[in-house]
Amino acid sequence: MSPAGLTPAKRAAITAIGFTGLLGIAWTFVAVLTSDHTSPKWLMLVLMLAIGTSFTATGMYAWARRPDSWFGLQLSLVGLLWFLTALSASNDDLLFTVGVLFGSLSSAVIIQALLGYPTGRLRSRGERAFIVLVYLLCTAGPLAQMLFAATPGDMPRNLLLVEENDRLVEVIDTVLRGGSLAAAVGAMALLMLRWQRATIPERRLLAPVLWSGVATTAALALSLTGQLLELPGDLLNVLDFVGLFIFASVPFAFIIGIVRQNLSRGHSVGRLVSRLGAAQPGRGATSLSEALSIALHDRSLSIAYWVPAAGAGPSVGQPGRYVDAAGKTVELPRPGSGRSFTEVEREGRRVAAIVHDASLDEEPELVQAAGAAAALALENERLDAELRVQIAEVRASRARLLEVVTRERRRIERDLHDGAQQRLVALALTLGIAEHQVADDPEQARALIREARGEARLALEELRELARGIHPAILTDRGLGPALEALASRSPLPVELADVPGERLPPPVEGAAYFVVAEALANVAKYAQASHAEVIVQRVNGHAVVEVRDDGVGGADPDGGSGLRGLEDRLAALDGRLAVFSPSGRGTTIRAEIPCAS
Amino acid sequence: MRVVIAEDSVLLREGIARLLEEAGHEVVGQAGDAEDLVRKVLAHRPDIAVVDVRMPPTNTDDGLRAALELRERAPEVAVLVLSQYVEEGYAHELIGGGAAGVGYLLKDRVADVERFVDAVARVGEGGSALDPEVVAQLLGRRRRDDPLEGLTRREREVLGLMAEGRSNSAIAEELVVTERAVEKHVTSIFGKLDLPPAAHDHRRVLAVLRYLGAPRP
Repeated sequence: MSPAGLTPAKRAAITAIGFTGLLGIAWTFVAVLTSDHTSPKWLMLVLMLAIGTSFTATGMYAWARRPDSWFGLQLSLVGLLWFLTALSASNDDLLFTVGVLFGSLSSAVIIQALLGYPTGRLRSRGERAFIVLVYLLCTAGPLAQMLFAATPGDMPRNLLLVEENDRLVEVIDTVLRGGSLAAAVGAMALLMLRWQRATIPERRLLAPVLWSGVATTAALALSLTGQLLELPGDLLNVLDFVGLFIFASVPFAFIIGIVRQNLSRGHSVGRLVSRLGAAQPGRGATSLSEALSIALHDRSLSIAYWVPAAGAGPSVGQPGRYVDAAGKTVELPRPGSGRSFTEVEREGRRVAAIVHDASLDEEPELVQAAGAAAALALENERLDAELRVQIAEVRASRARLLEVVTRERRRIERDLHDGAQQRLVALALTLGIAEHQVADDPEQARALIREARGEARLALEELRELARGIHPAILTDRGLGPALEALASRSPLPVELADVPGERLPPPVEGAAYFVVAEALANVAKYAQASHAEVIVQRVNGHAVVEVRDDGVGGADPDGGSGLRGLEDRLAALDGRLAVFSPSGRGTTIRAEIPCAS
Repeated sequence: MRVVIAEDSVLLREGIARLLEEAGHEVVGQAGDAEDLVRKVLAHRPDIAVVDVRMPPTNTDDGLRAALELRERAPEVAVLVLSQYVEEGYAHELIGGGAAGVGYLLKDRVADVERFVDAVARVGEGGSALDPEVVAQLLGRRRRDDPLEGLTRREREVLGLMAEGRSNSAIAEELVVTERAVEKHVTSIFGKLDLPPAAHDHRRVLAVLRYLGAPRP
């Protein structure tokens, strides 16, 4: 299995680095062993080869392991540049000059690598400005020096020499030493700042590399200070060698970090498994996220459970969403927010996402191993969370249903009060007056009674309409087919009825289906500008499927209108579903599915 | 005319009985539920049964079902069904094979005493009476390629009154025109709608219903 992101180009680059490294080893051997001006030769050879090889090889390994990070490339560049430094041991004037000129460049690259670890990218403009200055110091510094400093007689000639000027060289030396000291101290300070700002899981990852970097820069600073203080030569040599040894430790610190990760991964996952085994029933979600956060050393860790969108069928929209243990919707962190997440699958289905510190992205194997170990427990918790989501939805829909009922009652009360009741009052009054007049003015009384009869007729008509709106008698008496037939015949546009089942369905199903059609036809008449509509009722797989189609303008908003919302709740109470398809200009189809055991 | 009345509300039953007796009919039996109705009609063999749709025992459409049973078992007894609401579908069920001696009216119509008594008499003599509400449903129903679009407004009015079961003379009186004029309209309507000409009033109702009616399930 090759790591993600290892492109053929990167693979070729790594191979090229390897060959260049081999070349570097060869020329280092030749240059140091034939050198007339280097001593002690063997110590130099061992140091040169050890440092160059360890950086180059570790860098190659690191790059292959995390192809998306520049850290590996930077590390191997340090190694290759180090081999370039070895050229300064050559007796050849040109090679000597090149070796001295580029001798300090590896220091700039190692500082960049340390500051950018683990991604190899610098994190702030300050850091970037700092690195630019360091590079300037490591290139322009030696160049300036070489323009004016001659080499002693027993050493190869400096080809860059323009004019020998001891005073100027002394000034340049002092400036360079001061600048280097500042760079070393600055790098140390930035590394420590980095440590201070790191989150706890991040520190675990950074520790070995960062501290060996701090030690390297501290040793460099110490040696430079020694030079500035003009300490005795022997002491300076000792300081230089100590500094070199510490510098050589950087790749090993990186390797130690990886080994430590692997060991702790096995350990963490092992502990996680036993912890999950001992998890107390009842506090599943808490102990699960606790166990994971201990295993991954991330106190801030949380778990998001995947809840797929309800069932199959024509429901439009997203495939699902993440929720927390309480069933509330959770947004997964975006890249660059300092937080990250790892999705856990079980038997090919999404189960949960572990939301963690972004630094854990550097150890995807650990998070995935922990996720895999916890997958079964996560699946259980997921089912729990899904259940909570459903309960919350049921509660909300029950509340809305109650609201619908209350609103309906208020409407009925108002209709009764404004309509039939007023008419009956008027009728009683009219009859009262007629009673008074019947002796004196029988003709007038007769007219009043006729008027009263008219009032009574209107009151009856209004009551009939009201009763039909509450629950049409024909639905109770004859079932869905005849009731829909009656509904269709009262519709202001032609309605075709197809496939209505002849047998009776459970009353709640008939009621819901009837009101779906009634509401849909009312909407068609109001908004659709349709020339006709079609109503289909079928029984499919234990469901009554009701469809109302029109050939109107479409573009209906499925979320709009309290009518549709009320229907949705009415259907939800029966575990049914409502879907609206309304592409602009291509008519509207409203489809309801109501579970209906035969 | 001998009448049996079936209506579970005693107040209304007594009211209808009094109304019909004042009009010179003889109320030979009163029933409070559907079973009682069937029993009394089969025992008394009246000219007409006036039946409420919603009655015990189930308080749904027991009266209508009893009326249909009577059409089977005692076809010579005319049936006038009253209901709080009318549905075109029920009209089709009632009339089924024949419109002779069948009536279907909104219960409110009893308040218009004259017309109600007239309807009872018409149905009892083998005619028909279909509530204007049902007729309005039939005529008001929108269809694709609506055949009624070819009719004039006056012809629509005449068609509606025909469907209610009115005779040509009654229609002429209602519209304040001569009977000749009505006959001309009727001929024109039958021609435009391609209906078979029919002499008897109840045959015309049947023809119109068949023509306008929804496809039977």
